[in-house]
Amino acid sequence: MTNEPQAPAGAVQLSEEAISHIDALYRMALRLTGNAPDAEDLVQETYLRAFRSLHQFRPGTNLRAWLFRILMNSFINEYRRQSRRPANTSLEDLDEFSLYHQMLESDFQPSVAQPEQEVLARLSEESVLEALDELPVEFRQVVLLADVEGFSYKEIAEVLRIPIGTVMSRLHRGRRRLQRLLAPCLCQSPSLCHGQ
Amino acid sequence: MLNCNEVAERLYSYLDRELSPEEMAAVQRHLDACPPCRRWFVFEENMLRYVGECARRVRAPDELAARIRELRQS
Repeated sequence: MTNEPQAPAGAVQLSEEAISHIDALYRMALRLTGNAPDAEDLVQETYLRAFRSLHQFRPGTNLRAWLFRILMNSFINEYRRQSRRPANTSLEDLDEFSLYHQMLESDFQPSVAQPEQEVLARLSEESVLEALDELPVEFRQVVLLADVEGFSYKEIAEVLRIPIGTVMSRLHRGRRRLQRLLAPCLCQSPSLCHGQ
Repeated sequence: MLNCNEVAERLYSYLDRELSPEEMAAVQRHLDACPPCRRWFVFEENMLRYVGECARRVRAPDELAARIRELRQS
């Protein structure tokens, strides 16, 4: 029997639960940093910080949200300033675009009874990921937390430490801008490209 | 009853289930009675779901998970 200190059973369980969120943290890190090596470093840094401060985590509170908060803090502190992405300071309102209404206003001739389905079928996974990556980071964060990770407005506000009103505003504008970015992908149907 | 503009303002709060039960019901009543709004909301709901599905297909590399486990033990 060794004399090495053993982590308390609760801490082991908690760290195991934390590791179960690795896919979610990695896909967020990948979309934030834009490349796999930086995403891996960000996730590793997140777990390093999490394991160090696991004793501060209050059981019964949201472990997943806590991990995302650490990841967002790490990203802002260590990666964003050296990010190779262009600075996204322009959050001005260009953001009332609606793919659905664009479709209705065009003379788009669907080949199926439900044109909405045809529009979605034309969007490849790659084009969706590229459009997400094009969003200004402030919008990207809230869109990913809501639409990919399923966090509530309140949880997103806590993860990012911003008011709920700001979450709602960024989410609305981020989703609208995402549709604007996706519109050119539908240009196989030229009638949908009016106004692009 | 809410009109189309009032329902449009609540699009995302409704789809995100972030309205009060009374407001959720009020939007639902409008959608039940208004096919154009209903169709738009279904499109937007499908759009959100599709974006989520695309991004969730990404998985962490196995060797990263192994490194994290080593980190925990160190």
